[in-house]
Amino acid sequence: MSLMQTLRIGRLARPLEDLLRVPDHAFGYPLLRPEGLTEEAQEALLGLCPSGAFFREGRTFGLDLARCVGCGRCALARPEAVGEMKRLEVAVTRKEDLVQRVDLERGTFLDPGPPPPPRPELALPTLAFREVSAGDTGLADSEVALAGNPFNDMGRFGFSVVASPRHADALLVTGPVSRNMAEALRRTYEAVPEPKGVVAVGNEAISGGVFAGSPEVVGGVDRVVPVDVYVPGDPPRPGAILFGLLLLAGRVRQRLVGGVLR
Amino acid sequence: MDAVKEALREGRPVALFPDGEGVVLVAEVGRDVRVFRFGEGRRFPSLAAEFPAMDWWERALWERGYTPEGHPDPKPLRRHDLPYAFREFKELHEVPVGPVHAGIIEPGHFRFSVLGERIVNLEIRLGYQHRGLLALLPGKGPEAALLLVERAGSEPLAHALAFAQAWEEALGRKAPPRAQALRRAALELERAFGHLGHLAGLFTDIGYAYGATQVGRIRALLQGELDRLTGHRYGRNFLRVGGVWREGRPDLSALALYREELARLLPRLLKHPQVLDRMRYVGVVRRVEAEALGFVGPTARASGVARDLRQDDPAYLSFQPVVRQGGDVLARAQVYAEETLQALDYALHFLTHLPEGPLAQDLPPGDGEAMARVEAGRGEVFWFVRVAGGEVALAEGVDPSFKNWRALELAVRGEGLPDFPLCNKSFDLSYAGNDL
Repeated sequence: MSLMQTLRIGRLARPLEDLLRVPDHAFGYPLLRPEGLTEEAQEALLGLCPSGAFFREGRTFGLDLARCVGCGRCALARPEAVGEMKRLEVAVTRKEDLVQRVDLERGTFLDPGPPPPPRPELALPTLAFREVSAGDTGLADSEVALAGNPFNDMGRFGFSVVASPRHADALLVTGPVSRNMAEALRRTYEAVPEPKGVVAVGNEAISGGVFAGSPEVVGGVDRVVPVDVYVPGDPPRPGAILFGLLLLAGRVRQRLVGGVLR
Repeated sequence: MDAVKEALREGRPVALFPDGEGVVLVAEVGRDVRVFRFGEGRRFPSLAAEFPAMDWWERALWERGYTPEGHPDPKPLRRHDLPYAFREFKELHEVPVGPVHAGIIEPGHFRFSVLGERIVNLEIRLGYQHRGLLALLPGKGPEAALLLVERAGSEPLAHALAFAQAWEEALGRKAPPRAQALRRAALELERAFGHLGHLAGLFTDIGYAYGATQVGRIRALLQGELDRLTGHRYGRNFLRVGGVWREGRPDLSALALYREELARLLPRLLKHPQVLDRMRYVGVVRRVEAEALGFVGPTARASGVARDLRQDDPAYLSFQPVVRQGGDVLARAQVYAEETLQALDYALHFLTHLPEGPLAQDLPPGDGEAMARVEAGRGEVFWFVRVAGGEVALAEGVDPSFKNWRALELAVRGEGLPDFPLCNKSFDLSYAGNDL
């Protein structure tokens, strides 16, 4: 291990490269295969996905990664139409980059163009985060906590979780935002001094996940406070959360564009 | 009503839910489950004055539009659009805490009435995690329903298992033997993982960094094995109605190694002077209180109630529940420690004696209704499901946290305010599970 690498990632922690890889035994993120999307395969995918991640709009067939619960049944049943991305560099700064859209006539992915650059005022050497759980079941919260353990060691990047919003540079928000938490979330956000960022952690925080449509939830963090970075996952693994924090700080390039790793 | 009162006097409530005209009470008396239906229309006689265990149950129904006639203090539990009056104590100082806490934890509001730093009374107000989960279930097929059920409280495997078993029984089917063994192995890994989390949190709260790091390290490795078995770090997407979806391969020799390491480590950690100093005689819940309020799981067992649903499961051979008498934070920590080793023993047992055969059987869309209970890490998980044409017609679930939250109100009474986080962590209850 080179000295620079040791200084950057530490010795006790896992190398960043390992941290961002989905382990062999687990299903990664699904990736549409345009060439295999026959009429029949489309129907099958729409029918078998329990969380309704697939959709069809006119001559476009799509997959919303923020609705995927990662069960892997699509890739198992229809390997010709769905592959797998085994990487955790999936955090994005705009929501449409979580959606894969295939133009069925041309058989290619639609490209929404380059993503907006990260906010330069958040490119700080250290960032303090305040975590707000807003309707999360507790698992995304747990993954945020585990991102700080000796294996993932978020501290090596200068990131820490603090108790007060007054001490924070950014908020990490989990859950679909229950109606009963919307006001508390808004007030916590207001208590954070400028400049401030917000990271939505997990599918539910992005657009409600399986709770979308419930009258008791607002259905996404960005309906209450502005969001800078979205981290999909159900819940996202600690590596994906760390990548999201690095993206907020402008230290990595966004890799997921139009739902495809580029 | 006499039969209902008799059952509650001898036993404890398992569930109370509305079903068309009237309400259904499920109560456990001894090892038996009894079901009572009473009330007319949307009115039913309140039992809360005589049985304090019924208080939160009846309040939960009250806010759903049912009237417990004669309830001493009806106020909402989850709905925040209704007025809520905290109990007032004249001349005492009030300390409000939350809903957003200092740590990485779910939201809840705690109102302390203190004399100096001594807690005289605590009133817990939850509902911040209410997502309307139960109302989303009707009309869902088994797979879509399980997605929601796995999000009812932070123990997805226990909830999915209880729900799947209820569904299977409603249709008169059973999961194949191999699936049953895999389900139980996963449930035990979930229990060990959760318990180690409670212990690591307790050590953190008393500033015992060595203990927290050591337990946290083994916990993280154990999560890797749960991930290997189920394909998910918390065991979601593993169970299905009729069996399991997949079969992963955890490293059995690693599991055995973690068990040995914990067996050496945990007794030592729990005898450390710092631990004894801060945990002993703190946050006491007495047995009579635990029985009167119907507490379940480690909370009840640390107060001397020898009840664990696994006693009724023949797959667990002759099961002996872990019991302590102290009822304090230390007793709960000891129960967690011992149950972790027990859970790993059972997980290894189930994984090394896997019956041959298929992982699942397909269930025809049918009609029926049934209830099922599973001993989760935190205690009894309950699901009732009525299936019509392969879809949910009515489903009601109860997370153990709903039954145990008021233990915290009792435990902190008379303690210093700074001991609240420690008492809270010793129960480590699920907010989302309470707020279904």
